[in-house]
Amino acid sequence: MIPALVFLPLLGAIIVGMLTFVDCNNDKAKKARIDKIAHWLTSGPLLVSAVLAVLIFNDVALNGNARTVELFTWIDSGTLDISWALRVDSLTAVMMIVVTVVSAMVHVYSAGYMHNDPCVPRFMAYLSLFTFFMLMLVTADNLVQMFFGWEGVGLASYLLIGFWYKKPSANAAAIKAFVVNRVGDFGFVLGIFTVYVMFDSISFETIFNAAPLHAETTIKVFGGEFHAMTVACLLLFVGAMGKSAQLGLHTWLPDAMEGPTPVSALIHAATMVTAGVFMVARLSPLFEYSETALMVVTIVGGSTAIFAATIGCTQNDIKRVIAYSTCSQLGYMFFALGVSAYSAGIFHLMTHGFFKALLFLGAGSVIHAMSDEQDMRKMGGIWRLIPVTYALMLIGSLALAGIWPFAGFYSKDIVLEAAWGAHSIAGGYAFWMGIAAAFLTAFYSWRLLIMTFHGTPRADERVMAHIHESPKIMLVPLMVLAAGAMFAGYMGYENFVGGNAEAFWGDSILVLPIHNALEAAHGAPFWVKYLPLAVGLAGIGMAYVFYMWKPQLPGWLAGQIRPVYQFVYNKWYFDELYDWLFVKPAFYIGRNLWKTGDGAIIDGVGPDGIAAATINIARRVAGMQTGYLYHYAFAMLGGVIILISSYMLFGGG
Amino acid sequence: MSSVPNLAPALPEIFLAIIGMALLMVGVFQKKTDNDGEVRNARMISHLGVVAFVLTGLLVFTVSGPSLSTFSGMFISDPFAVYFKVLVLIASAMALIIAQDFLEQHKIAKFEFTVLLIFATLGMLMMVSANNLLSLYIGLEMQSLALYVLASFHRDDMRSTEAGLKYFVLGAVASGMLLYGASLVYGYAGTTDFVLLAQLFEHSPETGSSLGLIVGIVFILAGLSFKVSAVPFHMWTPDVYEGAPTPVTAFFAVGPKLAAIALFIRVMVGPFGDLVGHWQQIVVLISVASMLLGAFAAINQTNIKRLMAYSSIGNVGYALIGLAVGTEAGVRGILIYMAIYLFMTTGAFACILLMRRGGRMVENISDLAGLSKTHPLVAAALAVFMFSMAGIPPLAGFFGKFYVFMAAIEGGLYALAIIGVLTSVVGAYYYIRIIKVAYFDEPGDPLDADVGRNIALVIGATSLAILLFFVYPGVVVDSAAAAAASLF
Amino acid sequence: MIIQGLAFYMFAAIAIASAVMVISSRNPVHSVLFLILTFFNGAGLFVLLGAEFLAMILVVVYVGAVAVLFMFVVMMLDINFVELRQGFLNYLPLGAMVGLILLTELLMIVGGWHFAPEATIVGLVPIPEGVTNTQALGMVIYTDYIYLFQAAGIILLIAMIGAIVLTHRTRSGVRKQRISDQVKRRPADTIELVKVEPGKGI
Repeated sequence: MIPALVFLPLLGAIIVGMLTFVDCNNDKAKKARIDKIAHWLTSGPLLVSAVLAVLIFNDVALNGNARTVELFTWIDSGTLDISWALRVDSLTAVMMIVVTVVSAMVHVYSAGYMHNDPCVPRFMAYLSLFTFFMLMLVTADNLVQMFFGWEGVGLASYLLIGFWYKKPSANAAAIKAFVVNRVGDFGFVLGIFTVYVMFDSISFETIFNAAPLHAETTIKVFGGEFHAMTVACLLLFVGAMGKSAQLGLHTWLPDAMEGPTPVSALIHAATMVTAGVFMVARLSPLFEYSETALMVVTIVGGSTAIFAATIGCTQNDIKRVIAYSTCSQLGYMFFALGVSAYSAGIFHLMTHGFFKALLFLGAGSVIHAMSDEQDMRKMGGIWRLIPVTYALMLIGSLALAGIWPFAGFYSKDIVLEAAWGAHSIAGGYAFWMGIAAAFLTAFYSWRLLIMTFHGTPRADERVMAHIHESPKIMLVPLMVLAAGAMFAGYMGYENFVGGNAEAFWGDSILVLPIHNALEAAHGAPFWVKYLPLAVGLAGIGMAYVFYMWKPQLPGWLAGQIRPVYQFVYNKWYFDELYDWLFVKPAFYIGRNLWKTGDGAIIDGVGPDGIAAATINIARRVAGMQTGYLYHYAFAMLGGVIILISSYMLFGGG
Repeated sequence: MSSVPNLAPALPEIFLAIIGMALLMVGVFQKKTDNDGEVRNARMISHLGVVAFVLTGLLVFTVSGPSLSTFSGMFISDPFAVYFKVLVLIASAMALIIAQDFLEQHKIAKFEFTVLLIFATLGMLMMVSANNLLSLYIGLEMQSLALYVLASFHRDDMRSTEAGLKYFVLGAVASGMLLYGASLVYGYAGTTDFVLLAQLFEHSPETGSSLGLIVGIVFILAGLSFKVSAVPFHMWTPDVYEGAPTPVTAFFAVGPKLAAIALFIRVMVGPFGDLVGHWQQIVVLISVASMLLGAFAAINQTNIKRLMAYSSIGNVGYALIGLAVGTEAGVRGILIYMAIYLFMTTGAFACILLMRRGGRMVENISDLAGLSKTHPLVAAALAVFMFSMAGIPPLAGFFGKFYVFMAAIEGGLYALAIIGVLTSVVGAYYYIRIIKVAYFDEPGDPLDADVGRNIALVIGATSLAILLFFVYPGVVVDSAAAAAASLF
Repeated sequence: MIIQGLAFYMFAAIAIASAVMVISSRNPVHSVLFLILTFFNGAGLFVLLGAEFLAMILVVVYVGAVAVLFMFVVMMLDINFVELRQGFLNYLPLGAMVGLILLTELLMIVGGWHFAPEATIVGLVPIPEGVTNTQALGMVIYTDYIYLFQAAGIILLIAMIGAIVLTHRTRSGVRKQRISDQVKRRPADTIELVKVEPGKGI
């Protein structure tokens, strides 16, 4: 059952991947047929996988039957023994549900959204391939297998961001995503090395069992003695930061919106970007032994939450707003992990998966309706024309803003309460940043809704005339996700973070008794519990004031605090900073190495130089061949003399 | 008065000598009223010559077995000699087979060609069996003299006569050196017999400290190096190879090399085997210089015969690695190497013989362009030969180099092995360039389409031998091992 | 004894001096004459060693045949030796250096010369008593050295074949008398009877 769940998407990807070689020759009917086959050959397995995931969730998480399925040995070298194995426990089961359900919905949705694209089979194959890698990642039994999935999703993400490879911006974004992720992956790999050095193993089972023994181990790095666990965890966290777009390594995520919208929904909102969160939760038995690492995680998470929220308020591209929102919500998840409320983080991950996918797909539906327009300044006044989409977007936004009784309310609340409950400086910082971000979240969510759907239409007439509700095949997945966005929080609360949590999570998550933030959260005072809801409502109210009733206000305010506005609007100048700090020097160094290093020195001395020298020698040697008899005879005599002299001078034997 | 010497060990040589003279008589007294008659006569003698080689080969097998020496110890027949005699006879027979068409096309088809080839072969067999500095010299001279004539066989061609003259004069210089060396050795040891010499040095290896003896050996080495065209005694090679008629060049590249290498080995590990410490360094020098020159000088060549000349210089360098090691494994390496070399080179020259355009020979590498279109099979065979020479597995050439380099590594001569590998890389450049020209260059005027049956036969046989060597290498490797063992 | 010593030095000195003259005289005919002088002195050295047969052979073959042939060639072919020698001075320093090195090395060899301790035992066939050395040579050349002797014969045969192959031409347009052809000739071969019809002419 478990292998079937994991490998079905791969099978679909391979078969449909073959379909890309079918040449349709502008035969519309044939192409439609192929597309349909491609669509069902990928969606079908995914739907089956989703059903299986629900069954497995029931078996593993609810009935507590965690297990590991060994497939076969991968690497067996010295003490390094790695096998392909599928480790399924509660944590994995939750992830499997999120991944397969969202992925299945996105697959179905893509049938409508990608309808007119010339390369449907390729797209569907990539999507399924991505799903396979993601499942590989969450079912990993050891760090290397996890890294395999990790890199696999990175690859799929690269392919999908650059799906419209004829667009230079898409290519640039794909490369950016890949390169920025490399930075994180480098940290991840170093982390794996460190773990291997410490434990002499990279199998989860072994290292989790041995972790308490190594709680005080130190390791030498660059001549200094460091707390080994902290070093390992921080390095692994760098990997998580890269994949989950945390402050510093977040720059690729907004650009990744160059990919088709279903991709944004699947990869850059619901699943791949949460891999970092999953990884930290999975490695909780390690992080628990490093206070420093947890503190760093908390602070980075809190900072990202507020940082991304501020930018979200100023962006005008509908998908970018949601992208920054994703970034911000990932920050929430991380600071939840940082205060050892792993279950709260994963809970938020799950609910977020549903409502963020819903928002993205809804945005896709809007874009679809608006003839591929993404700029919110050119929308407005269309809610009557596409009421279903509007309603779905509203549900998503309510969930995102954390309004009762939508899913986001439950998860965001528990995350913030846990931060408060940590009673630490970092926790306090994260709590207040989270509250502020919650306000901004509500604000930009409604800014998005109002700018997109209300007010006077700002699109031109041709577009307006063409606006239409999306087909059913796009709306049905949205409805499924909307159901998740509405009820997942309420339904999951008890099991994920409530009284039943301990039994639910079993051994998959370790929390040391001293890290009791979650228990403290349940005993949080009234104001802590309702502050998030209050600021959320306040944010919504402010959005109505700014964009519905006094539309001139935003412009005035922006003018009043021009430098601040510019700073935020330009995304805190991160791209510019990196461009100046890394990209330009890298290009400079690269160009120099290429022109002088490789071209002049290596090629000059190496291949070209040796070739030139060879030809030169050849010419000289051939030049000795004069054709004169006496030269030849003389050479022979000279040869004898050289041989005799060499013997006399250097002796023999 | 001594009784009649035992003739049995020398039966193949005696037979070949008699056949040579008999064919001379037949050729001379055959009626040849017109030009056609002369060609017919030459062709018949040529065929008889091939038969003679085959029969001699059979006779060689009758004397294979334990070592036998005769003629007051001047002549020896041992597995080593038998091994080389078989190779030499194969080389001669193939050279004779591919030569006839060429000679007829160039209107130099005379029966003397066959007779001279037979006598040259006789000289080689005697060289291989030489067990005395005197018989060594006599065999060498018999071979050389016949070859001088063969080199200028195309007597109306300036290049051919020039080649013969150069070869002759320089060969005389080399012979002089050889004799000078032999006289120095004789002066020191009082004997020219290999067995007695070996005994002398075996009993008192410190006698090697006599400078005169070593200088004598060096002079002998120089004379032999000339015959195998090792650097710095190689200068004649490109000119002679280029000038001589192509079938003769094909023969030069193989037969005399085989015999001279055999002689080289026999002299060095036989009488002077215990002085290996003294001459090893000199052989190393010669070997390295040959490999380097063979690799580098060939790059700029446009004439394929010249290129093959440098290639043969390089190949001799590789073979001498085995001698420089001075061990049984090293000698075995050379023996295997030379056997493979025989087939590669003969095959390559057979391909070169097909390079005719409008009935005239063309010799530039660029003339091969488009060969893959006009003669796909020949091009494939050529590719096999060239890849083999470049040492690409699983072709035979790879194994040849492999055994020699392995012997060098086992013998501790790492530098030699490394230089060998590096020069093979350089060598691969020009070998593979030929393939590139044949397969990828813009074809010019096509070469003549007709491929003689004889040449096709030789190309087919040699390319199959090279291709399939790895399937059953035991034939060569085992007999080479046995031959090498008989020397130690 | 002293006379033999004096004779040896005389022959040796003249041999070397005339050898130098062979390569340094401007006139090729002089060179050949000096060559003959060298041969004579060589023969003298042989006589001193008691090898009369070799001495005679040297005189007969080299002086009588080879050198005279040389003379013919030199005089028949009008080779401009001055032109050939043009590079002489250019190559002199290098050649002299190589020669000097070789000389030094040979001197070192001679200086350090010694025979192998066992050399006298294994080699050196004593000259048989009571026979001339022509007889002595004859006794071994057809027995112990039959192999070399026969092989040398084949070498000479090859040389002969070579000379013929490379130089012999059947010239066209040369009228030779073939007596057998003349004898075999029949009227039918040469005479054709033609019946001439009247009035047509031939």
